[in-house]
Amino acid sequence: MPVLGRPLIVAATLVYFLVCLGLGVWALRRTRSARDFWVARQGLGVVVTGLATMAAAFSGFVFLGGPGLTYRIGLASLFINLSIGFTPTLLAWTLAKRLRLLAEVREVYTIPDAVLARYGSRRASGAAAVAVLVGTVGYLGTQLLAMGTLTRAVFGVSLPVGVGAGLAVLLFYSVAGGMMAGVYTDVFQGTLMVLAAVAVFAYAMAAGGGFERVVHSIAASPRFGRGFLEPLGKTPALTALGFFFVFGIGVLGQPHMLNKFYMIQDPRRLRWLPLVLGSSQTLCLLIWLGIGLAVPALVAQGKLAPLAKPDDAAPSFLLGFTPEPLAGLAVAAILAAIMSTADSFMNLGAAVLVRDLPRCAGRRVKKELFWGRIATIGVTVAAAALALGYNDLIALLGTFSFGTFGAALAPALAVGLNWKRVTAAAATASIVTGTALNLALEFLARQTFFPSLPKPPLPPGALPTAVSLAASFAVLLAVTAWTGRREPALPEDIAAVMEA
Amino acid sequence: MSRFRSFRSLALVLLALAAAAALLAFCAGIPLGPWLAAFAGATFPVALIALGAARKGSLGGLSLPLALLWLLLAAGLGAVLALPHGGPDVAGLPLATAAMIFVLVPVPLLGLGGLYAARFDHHGLSEEDLDRMRRLRRSDSGEA
Repeated sequence: MPVLGRPLIVAATLVYFLVCLGLGVWALRRTRSARDFWVARQGLGVVVTGLATMAAAFSGFVFLGGPGLTYRIGLASLFINLSIGFTPTLLAWTLAKRLRLLAEVREVYTIPDAVLARYGSRRASGAAAVAVLVGTVGYLGTQLLAMGTLTRAVFGVSLPVGVGAGLAVLLFYSVAGGMMAGVYTDVFQGTLMVLAAVAVFAYAMAAGGGFERVVHSIAASPRFGRGFLEPLGKTPALTALGFFFVFGIGVLGQPHMLNKFYMIQDPRRLRWLPLVLGSSQTLCLLIWLGIGLAVPALVAQGKLAPLAKPDDAAPSFLLGFTPEPLAGLAVAAILAAIMSTADSFMNLGAAVLVRDLPRCAGRRVKKELFWGRIATIGVTVAAAALALGYNDLIALLGTFSFGTFGAALAPALAVGLNWKRVTAAAATASIVTGTALNLALEFLARQTFFPSLPKPPLPPGALPTAVSLAASFAVLLAVTAWTGRREPALPEDIAAVMEA
Repeated sequence: MSRFRSFRSLALVLLALAAAAALLAFCAGIPLGPWLAAFAGATFPVALIALGAARKGSLGGLSLPLALLWLLLAAGLGAVLALPHGGPDVAGLPLATAAMIFVLVPVPLLGLGGLYAARFDHHGLSEEDLDRMRRLRRSDSGEA
C-alpha cells in the first residue's frame, strides 16, 4: 500500500472517479438514439474532437511505459513518438475529411461501416470487423489490467478488486452514455493529461537541476553514459526505424482515433484539427521526455537508487520527488489516460457485435441502442475475465494490438479512400494479410507456450508489426494492379466523397 | 486531368517503392536494410499525404512543401544512421538527438499543420464540396 497513506492522492483519485460518474449521468440524459450512442450525435467541435482523439490514442503507456522504456533503452525510445510531427496532418489529409464526408452522405458510424460504404463488400467489411474485434480484446484487456494495478496501488486492494472498482466507474458512464459520455469524459481526461504532463515535465527538469544539468549528469554517469542520449544508443537501427514506421503509418488504421472524425459537427472545422491534435499530443508527451530524462539523472546524481524494474521510473519519481498535489494530479491523469482509451474500445467492441458483424451477415439489429449497451457490458466483462485469467496472453495481445489495427486497416482506408481503382478484393486481401500475418509473427516472436515452434525468420531487431504493415500495403497495391485495371463504377455519393 | 493523374501516379509509384523498400529492410537482413527503412519512413508519409491532398488537377502549392518534408525526414533519419554516436554535442545532446527533438517534431507539426489550415479551402474542403455532399445524402443504410 504505497500511497494509501497520502490523502491528497487518494482524494484526487476519488474526485476523478466522481467527475467521470457525473459526466456519465449527464450523458445518459442526452443519449436517446443509436447515433447518440455510437457517434455522440455528430455534434462535436474541433477542440473537443482533437482532445478526445488524443486521449483515446494515448493510453497509460505514455505515462508509465514510456519513461520506463526510456530508462531501459535511452532516448532511442523517442522513435515511437518521432512521427507526431506529421501524423496529425497525415490523418487529416488522407482520412479525416473522407471519413467525415462518408458520414455526411451515409449512415456510417464505425470503421467497418466505412469499408462497407467504400467497397460495397460485406466480405471486406467483415474482415475489418474481425480485425477490430481481435485488436479491441487485446487493447481493452491491457487497459483494464493497468487500471486494476493502479487502483490497487492507490487503495491497497487486491487486483480483482482494483479492476472491479475501476470497471464499475468505466462501465457506468460507457453503458449509460455510450460515445456521448466517452468523448466528454475524454475531453476532461485529455485536459487532465495535458495539465499533468506539462506540470510533471517542469517539475522533473527542476528536480534534476535544469535541462543542461540533467543531460550532463546522464552523459557523465558510468551507468548510463553518452550512449543513453544518442539517437540509437544500444538499440538496433532496424528496431528504431521500425518504431518510426509502425507508429507513423500504422496510426492510419487506429479505429479508436478514426472513429472520432465522424463526430465533428461541422466538417469545415477540420481545418484546425492537425494543430489542435498535434499540439495536445506534443504537450502530453512531455511527461515521457521529462521523467525519462529526470530519473536517470537523479540516479546518476545519487539522489535516487537505481531502479530494479525500468517500469518503476514514473511511480518512483512521482511518489518520491513530486509534492503530493502534483502526484495526485499525475495519478488521476494516468487513470484518465487508461480509461479514456478503454472507453473508446468498449464502444468499438460493442459496435462490432451489434452493428458490424450482423450487417456483414445481411442483418440489422433492432433496438440498437439497447443491445449496444448490453454488448458494452459483455465485451468489457469478457475482456476483464480474459485479462485476469490469462494475464500473459493479454499482455501479448496488447503489444500487438496497435500493429494489428495498422496492418489490417491502414492500407484499405488510407489508399482505398483516395484511389478509386482499389477493389474490394484488394482491400479484403490486405486486411486479411495484415491481421493474420501480424498475429502469426507476433505470436511466434513472443509465445512461450510451445517451445518447439520456431521464431519468425526475421533479421535481428526487425519488428514483426513493421513486416506485416509493409506486406499489407504491398498486397493492396499488387492485388489492385491485378484486379483493378479499370476504375470500378462507384455510387455517385462515394465517388463525390473521394473527389472532394 | 493529366496533371492530376501524373501526381496521383507519382504518389502511388512512391508508395509502391516505399512498401518494397520496407519489406526488404525488415525481412531480408541485408546491410542496406536500415537505409531502406529510412527511405520507406520518409517516403510513406509524403506519398500518402500527396495521394490524399491531390485534387482537381494538381497538388498546387503543396508540391514544394511536400518535397521539403521528404528532405527533412530523409535528412533526419539519414543523420541518425550516418553520424557516429549521433554526431557532436548541441545543447548537451548529440546532434542527431537534438535534431529529432527540436526539429523533426516541431517543424512538421507547425509547418504542415499551418499549411493544412492555410490551404484548407483548396486542398481540404470547400463550401461547394460540402453542399454537394449534403445534396447527395442518403437516408438508408451504408450498403452500396
